[in-house]
Amino acid sequence: MFCIIAFIVLSIIAIFNVSYRALAKEAYECVFRRITFRPCNTGFKEKMQAKLVGKLLTKSVVAARFLNKHFELLAWLLFLTTVASIFWTGKGLFNFYMYGSCNGLNKSGFCALDPKGENNKVSQTGGSCGTGEGDESKVTLAGMNTDLFPSKNIGAKDEVVLIGCYSCDYTRKAYPLVKQLISKNSVNYTFAHYPVKEETLYLLPIGYCAYKQDQDKFWQLNDRLFASEKNDIAKKEFVDTLLEDIGYDVEAINICSTSPETNSAVVERRIELEKTNIYGTPLVFINGKGLVGPKPYRVYERILKGWRFW
Amino acid sequence: MKQNIVDVVKIRQDFPLLGKEGVYFDNACQSLRPQFVIDAMNEYYNEYPACGGRSMHHLAAKVTHKCDEARDAVANFLHTKRKEEIVFTRNTTEGINLVAHSLGLKEGDIVITSDKEHNSNLIPWQVLKEKLGIEHKIIFSKEDNTFDLETYQQALNNNVKLVSLGLTSNLDGVTIPAKEIIQLAHKAGALVLLDGAQAVPHHEIDVQDLDVDFLAFSGHKMLGPSGIGVLYGKYALLEKLEPFMVGGDTVSSSTYLTHEFLPPPEKFEAGLQDYAGIIGLGAAVKYLSEIGFDFIEQQEQLLNKYITDALHTIKGVTVIGPEDPTQRGGIASFYIPQKDHHQIALMLDETSKIMVRSGQHCVHSWFHAHNIPGSVRASVYFYNTLEEAEIFVRELKKVVSIL
Repeated sequence: MFCIIAFIVLSIIAIFNVSYRALAKEAYECVFRRITFRPCNTGFKEKMQAKLVGKLLTKSVVAARFLNKHFELLAWLLFLTTVASIFWTGKGLFNFYMYGSCNGLNKSGFCALDPKGENNKVSQTGGSCGTGEGDESKVTLAGMNTDLFPSKNIGAKDEVVLIGCYSCDYTRKAYPLVKQLISKNSVNYTFAHYPVKEETLYLLPIGYCAYKQDQDKFWQLNDRLFASEKNDIAKKEFVDTLLEDIGYDVEAINICSTSPETNSAVVERRIELEKTNIYGTPLVFINGKGLVGPKPYRVYERILKGWRFW
Repeated sequence: MKQNIVDVVKIRQDFPLLGKEGVYFDNACQSLRPQFVIDAMNEYYNEYPACGGRSMHHLAAKVTHKCDEARDAVANFLHTKRKEEIVFTRNTTEGINLVAHSLGLKEGDIVITSDKEHNSNLIPWQVLKEKLGIEHKIIFSKEDNTFDLETYQQALNNNVKLVSLGLTSNLDGVTIPAKEIIQLAHKAGALVLLDGAQAVPHHEIDVQDLDVDFLAFSGHKMLGPSGIGVLYGKYALLEKLEPFMVGGDTVSSSTYLTHEFLPPPEKFEAGLQDYAGIIGLGAAVKYLSEIGFDFIEQQEQLLNKYITDALHTIKGVTVIGPEDPTQRGGIASFYIPQKDHHQIALMLDETSKIMVRSGQHCVHSWFHAHNIPGSVRASVYFYNTLEEAEIFVRELKKVVSIL
């Protein structure tokens, strides 16, 4: 058993330190003999045991005696720990590749490959930023009527829904990736503004009216809002200029946005979005699968394409 | 180099490695080299790295001269009748093989060895037994592992052509009563070949006084370089021997069909020689001669007595060979049943850089016959100190206590 554990450990160390390669090779020979049902007669275990126990003996006689007496048992424990560790490492790598988090889809525990947890961070509905305190497993598109929100390429087989906030950092991080995704693939794309900060609440009725006035120009407006400084889009005068620049009838939009009917529509849509159990932005649904926080592009594409991704 | 050195501390200053690399107690395998020997070899490579005995230019002449000097030094060291009795070989093994394959042994001839021979003095006879049909007789040692003269005497007869024995055993350090053995052999008409690998570095050898016919030994156990050895042979016998390896520098002339061998030792020294090795060996014997074997034996016995006394206090330890350490030269070979000898050696190295040999020391036959897996062998030389012996004993006790 010791040979196997030594082979694994020494092989890893040998990648970085050439002086361990001979030992790793020796361990391999021992393992090879074992897997070919021959006894390991290279003396490798005895040599390593003597070296390890000898090293420990210079520090503590008691510890050295314990190690020597229980060497095989400790080797077994180390082996099992290593196997478990390899399994969890493999699982972590798999999860990171597949979902952008070592812990799985939308799981926000520590991940060495994303130590700051950037791929799971959201702008919380309370207005602050963080990994959120909601239940990631409960986010769902079921029950939400996406027809109420701006959509394009309706009828396409695949569906992408982005629920985000114009002035939130993480939505701003995810937006260009989602845009890249929909430009490269034929998808039914829906965008829903879910402001988690008060200063952009006023954009809800404006967005509603703009889409109502001209659907094509709405997507330009969307791009411009995400491309602008956060401070600027908090100012209505700046947004009016944007609308005018795009070619909207600003006066008509302003009248529309203050109307009771618009107010009702905005409230209705807000209620509809709450059905997703959203607790922070961005929240991206790709063919119904909810992704909380800005994920790497490969994750979006892989979920969209399924097996075709490979 | 110092004259008549008896101060170990001063002697140790001649050895670049001592004091830097832990405790070196593997001298039976290979000794360390003094700077004097290293310098002699470096001088060859730096100042006259040419062929000896061939070219006529001044560098070649210097090589020839230096090699002659070395041959002289070795001849004086062994008290030979003439320097031509010294044949340079690669090592003891080659010397023994040279005799084995050149002596003209034939079917039915008997070769006697002991039960404690190094593989170098066992395998050649086993091979000749298979190839030529010679008979190989083994003289088993007495209970204390010393040579059984009585059994030996009984084994001698007219068919015994050669008695080939290790003068000092690398297993336990026991030296055989060579003079009596040789006298008895000669009386029975047999020649005697001694494996001197473990004896020549530690004891004064006078080949004329011993009247030994052949003596093989290596440079690397006696402060000399590795890859160089010596076969001493009585000149008259060397003249009769057919060379084992032939070729360049073994003949005075040749035609497409014939050749004329040079006299000994040249006819046995085929091909380009290890000049640096020969010169280094010459320096080593000079150094040893100046140290003196009285001091060497005295220092080895002092250390071995200390080590042996301490070994007897460790539970379970069995020392191979006679109880009396003075009969075991500088070797203390021991084992502890159920405790792995390699593990002990490795742990000594790991804890305090104490270097000893473990295993069967190329005497597998003895270990197999006695059903002992192996031993730990501590072998000291004159440059080792009592302080090192104390460290060895202290660490050994610590290691054994946890196994």
